[in-house]
Amino acid sequence: YKMAGDSRFPDVDTDGSEKSEEMEIVVNVGGVRQVFYGDNLNQYPETRLAELVNCLSGGYDSIFSLCDDYDPGKREFYFDRDPDAFKCIIDVYYFGEIHMKKGICPICFKNEMEFWKVDLKFLDDCCKAHLSEKKEELEEIARRVQLILDDLGVDASESRWKRCQKYIWKFLEKPESSYPARVIAVLSFLFILISSVVMCVGTIPDLQVVDAEGNRMEHPTLDSIETACIGWFTMEYVLRLISSPNKLHFALSFMNIVDVLAILPFYVSLTLTHLGAKLMELSNVQQAVQALRIMRIARIFKLARHSSGLQTLTYALKRSFKELGLLLMYLAVGIFVFSALGYTMEQSHPETLFKSIPQSFWWAIITMTTVGYGDIYPKTTLGKLNAAISFLCGVIAIALPIHPIINNFVRYYNKQRVLETAAKHELELMELNSAEGKATGSRSELEDLSREGKDDPFYSSRIKVSHSDTFIHLLSEEKNYRTRLQSCK
Amino acid sequence: MPLGMNKHGSRSTTSLPPDPTEIVRSKACSRRVKLNVGGLAHEVLWRTLDRLPRTRLGKLRDCNTHDSLMEICDDYNLEENEYFFDRHPGAFTSILNFYRTGKLHMMEEMCALSFSQELDYWGVDEIYLESCCQARYHQKKEQMNEELKREAETLREREGEEFDNTCCAEKRKKLWDLLEKPNSSVAAKILAIISIMFIVLSTIALSLNTLPELQGVDEFGQTTDNPQLAHVEAVCIAWFTMEYLLRFLSSPKKWKFFKGPLNAIDLLAILPYYVTIFLTESNKSVLQFQNVRRVVQIFRIMRILRILKLARHSTGLQSLGFTLRRSYNELGLLILFLAMGIMIFSSLVFFAEKDEDDTKFKSIPASFWWATITMTTVGYGDIYPKTLLGKIVGGLCCIAGVLVIALPIPIIVNNFSEFYKEQKRQEKAIKRREALERAKRNGSIVSMNMKDAFARSIELMDIVVEKNGESIAKKDKVQDNHLSPSKWKWTKRTLSETSSSKSFETKEQGSPEKARSSSSPQHLNVQQLEDMYNKMAKTQSQPNLNTKESSQAGKPKEELEMETLPGPMVPLLATRTDGIIDMRSMSSIDSFISCAAEFPDCGRFSHSPLTALPCKGGINVIQEQSRPQGSSARYAEINPGSESSHRSAFFIESPKSSIKASNPLKLRSLKVNFMEEDTSTLVPASNVLRTYPDPLKSRGATAAATDSSLLSDRSLMSPETSIYTTASARTPPKSPESQAAIAFNFHDAGIHKYIDADTDDEGQLMYDSSPPGNVSPKYTVANSGYLKQKDHVYRTEKNHLEAAALPTSPKLIGQNCIYSMEGITGRTQGNQETVRLENHISPEVHVLPGSGGHANTHAQSI
Repeated sequence: YKMAGDSRFPDVDTDGSEKSEEMEIVVNVGGVRQVFYGDNLNQYPETRLAELVNCLSGGYDSIFSLCDDYDPGKREFYFDRDPDAFKCIIDVYYFGEIHMKKGICPICFKNEMEFWKVDLKFLDDCCKAHLSEKKEELEEIARRVQLILDDLGVDASESRWKRCQKYIWKFLEKPESSYPARVIAVLSFLFILISSVVMCVGTIPDLQVVDAEGNRMEHPTLDSIETACIGWFTMEYVLRLISSPNKLHFALSFMNIVDVLAILPFYVSLTLTHLGAKLMELSNVQQAVQALRIMRIARIFKLARHSSGLQTLTYALKRSFKELGLLLMYLAVGIFVFSALGYTMEQSHPETLFKSIPQSFWWAIITMTTVGYGDIYPKTTLGKLNAAISFLCGVIAIALPIHPIINNFVRYYNKQRVLETAAKHELELMELNSAEGKATGSRSELEDLSREGKDDPFYSSRIKVSHSDTFIHLLSEEKNYRTRLQSCK
Repeated sequence: MPLGMNKHGSRSTTSLPPDPTEIVRSKACSRRVKLNVGGLAHEVLWRTLDRLPRTRLGKLRDCNTHDSLMEICDDYNLEENEYFFDRHPGAFTSILNFYRTGKLHMMEEMCALSFSQELDYWGVDEIYLESCCQARYHQKKEQMNEELKREAETLREREGEEFDNTCCAEKRKKLWDLLEKPNSSVAAKILAIISIMFIVLSTIALSLNTLPELQGVDEFGQTTDNPQLAHVEAVCIAWFTMEYLLRFLSSPKKWKFFKGPLNAIDLLAILPYYVTIFLTESNKSVLQFQNVRRVVQIFRIMRILRILKLARHSTGLQSLGFTLRRSYNELGLLILFLAMGIMIFSSLVFFAEKDEDDTKFKSIPASFWWATITMTTVGYGDIYPKTLLGKIVGGLCCIAGVLVIALPIPIIVNNFSEFYKEQKRQEKAIKRREALERAKRNGSIVSMNMKDAFARSIELMDIVVEKNGESIAKKDKVQDNHLSPSKWKWTKRTLSETSSSKSFETKEQGSPEKARSSSSPQHLNVQQLEDMYNKMAKTQSQPNLNTKESSQAGKPKEELEMETLPGPMVPLLATRTDGIIDMRSMSSIDSFISCAAEFPDCGRFSHSPLTALPCKGGINVIQEQSRPQGSSARYAEINPGSESSHRSAFFIESPKSSIKASNPLKLRSLKVNFMEEDTSTLVPASNVLRTYPDPLKSRGATAAATDSSLLSDRSLMSPETSIYTTASARTPPKSPESQAAIAFNFHDAGIHKYIDADTDDEGQLMYDSSPPGNVSPKYTVANSGYLKQKDHVYRTEKNHLEAAALPTSPKLIGQNCIYSMEGITGRTQGNQETVRLENHISPEVHVLPGSGGHANTHAQSI
């Protein structure tokens, strides 16, 4: 290994640091030997190797605080680390940037960089993206683990009311936590279905009854079913609200807004029919009630709570906002262009169906999305040509931006599954670590007795202390999770 | 970095194992230890290894005797404080980092299965894998497992057709092949085409039947079938019925046949016809004709099911069905999305349109139709919105429909394409395998151009064959025999071995009883082997040279050979035969995994269709063994016998073992067994060594020993052993001392006159395949006797392995393969010639001048 610093080493004469300049240290990292020159290392004085060079005069204690072993005969410093990562990391002394070797896990590499005290900023951007991707994934896993731990945690110290609250929360929000909770979830799902069906069936004219004033009213049995469903929804919502640990957060979350929207119309129309008669005219009241009926559709969205697929869909749509905009823009441009073209071309025909440009918007949409109802269609040759082109453009305009949306969806869909298993694994790992910690702890004590001096306690305890890389600060209150894990066992 | 083991310091050069105190001193004098894993040197602190005391490396620290050390590592060098492990170096880096940092990450390019093997070997549980790598690991592993399982299943289906239990098996098998495997012969193909034509014809007839012009009118004023078309229909149904019945009769497993989805479709296609006939005939007199007619109509509709019969003849249709079954989750999602969209948009459009006069959106259920037609962009135009609000809703509905349908479909498509690809690949693989087996059966494989065979066999590693119930049944037999500890006749065995390969069966039965009845260590080994065998009912068909497992597996056999020395009783033959199957299966399963991932270059060569590589060792052994005996009177009778048995065993054994399919799930248990074996292996070795220092005793026992050794020679000639030796030959230098000891014994007995007949060749062979640096120490060990030559072989093989293990020398492996092939070709000729042949035919093998002389001088000096 001929170093870059090798060539300039004899003649460069910077004042003061002559000694460290000539200093040549041999570093052995996990069996791989490497020669360094002091000035080269001192470019980055905060790194471990540079510190090592600088404290050579400080005696064995300071040396041994930095490296794992020192061979005075060969003047060789030994580090018990991964040589592969080290080979990449020393690039910083020669090129000022680090590239990750392909195949090394980025998280693992990050830890190595931390050991060598090389700042993460030296990692080149091309490799950084990889690292940040992995980090995000780990954070996601950690969040899930946190959620699971929260569910598991039952603190005996809390008041009875709190415990009760937690129990209800678990009961309603985590269908997988227990058998009755699952039953509740299924029941709730059924109620949503029933109420949706009732809403649809209620509009069939044959099933409606005519009241005294000649107005069509919903069938009384359907009405009572509706009332029962609304009752269930209301109870569910109220219980959830009461038991939620964070009321404001609860009230503002998307799913709960949907819940409110599903039950509100019923109560509003109820109050309107009872009180509104005094305030305004009857016809107005009835119109308002009718309008509120549309709001009942919101209850279909309640299904999203019970389907991970729907959640994935909403997530994918949220993530691909840009692509959706693109799709709409393409379509809008196409609609404008083709409806205008269609309108002008059809002008020549005496019985044209294209009465105005805004009216032909409808035709353009229906053609471009390849639906083609046939209520409006071109009659002239030019108009037909235009229709053909608009159909082709429509296919392309829809197909192009839809691909990234689909991609997002598929990726998220697959990731969801991976994360699920990963979170479970993480929990297992944590459990293992906590158990191991005790085991190694007791063992290391024994060892200290048997061959004292050889093992310094720092090392034997290191495995115990280290937790998995997913451990972000969120989860690091060790006591907390350990008691939780034990309590759930 | 090349092999770091130093020749001078290497422990294998000294015949005596080091004293425990020496080992302790060596360990104490340094805080660090050098670990050489597959040629890559690592240096690590002892205390780092102590962090995981229950793992293999953790145990290394506590081992202070030679035997216990050899259990854990494959070689060691006390002066250099270096321990050698014959494992994949890439995975070891990650594992060593686990000791250092407490965090187990996985190299990204590692194959998950291979990595899990390594983890098992080093004694690290896969649960420690960090979450960032765990997902990938499990995904890959599951995917692999699933694929293997599926392949094994399809192949088992094909293999599981045994016709030996009932009468006229031959004919039934032919019929079955004719009807079920259109690729098996021209006639079968023609039959398949006729069948397809009938399906198409009957479907056309069915649709034509509904044309009003072609229908007749019966006495009740009801339309009836056209008489001509009815005839066509009858003919088609007759054909289908015949086909179904023939299939059913010829099928090996009736119930399974009945349950098969394709056969159920067949049944459904013909049943309606008969039911219709039955109903109309039986009810003609009764007056409830109208009702019958309705039922008959329903059955007529069911006739359309026959179009599904086409699925039998189309891979695409089958994969479609499979895909739909697999992705019912996504299909459910699609339907859910659509249902929600329909619900929302139909109610929206209902509220928008309901005040319009003459509206068609009368209720929400009525507008469901509109929403469906719009969302799927069909757009009949029978209902369409007229108000502005309705049109806006309609526009949104179109776009939402496009989106919602498009989203889950790629997942389904992915499933489909994966399965379809897999199916195609499998079809190819099966075809190739069938051709291969045919070639093997004909014996034409020997004359095949080997290079071509290698080139073509690249894709063959896909094939996984499962050994079905046969293996288990065999095992049961064996277990039964354990209970009856009848004495096993030695001489009879030899006869049976030399006579023909048929003796394989008897050996199978005879051997294990011995294994159980006494408690000597080799029996333990056999027991373990059997356990392994049971656990691993499946294995991959292509055995491989550069498997590490086989080297492990070889140890027990090594030990068995040693056992012959102390006493003239020779139970080992028996145990050995049983072991062979295991060896093969193990080696092949490991090869499949490790080679596929680790040595892509070597892997393709090693997956030779001929299973020729293992034979090489066998041939060598035969040469070695028969040569000394050649001067004795036995040469004439034994050698031909061994030849024939060897050959037949080769051709019969290999397909058999190839039937076993690999089951990666079982791999872990297998591993454990290996480790256990290691422990037992070393005991006898040390025994031998203990007897060795006492020359008087050994001299006194030489007569018996010679006798037994000759006998064991013969045993070595048995086909199985010859294959077996390959595995054993690769055993890393665990046994050299013991071998040397044996060699000394024979030297004393005066057998050395046979010794050096062919050392030149051996030396050349050895130099051919090994880096020269490795060879010289071996010569110093080898002393005399035919066992010395065996030792040579052993070393040659080991060198082979080393060369193979280093991924840098795929070419070398190619050479080895080729020349071993040539060995087979020449096998039928005289032994001397064979050796020459080998050397001549493989000119690309590099021969070092003077190597033979070197060997000779050593031999003479001792």
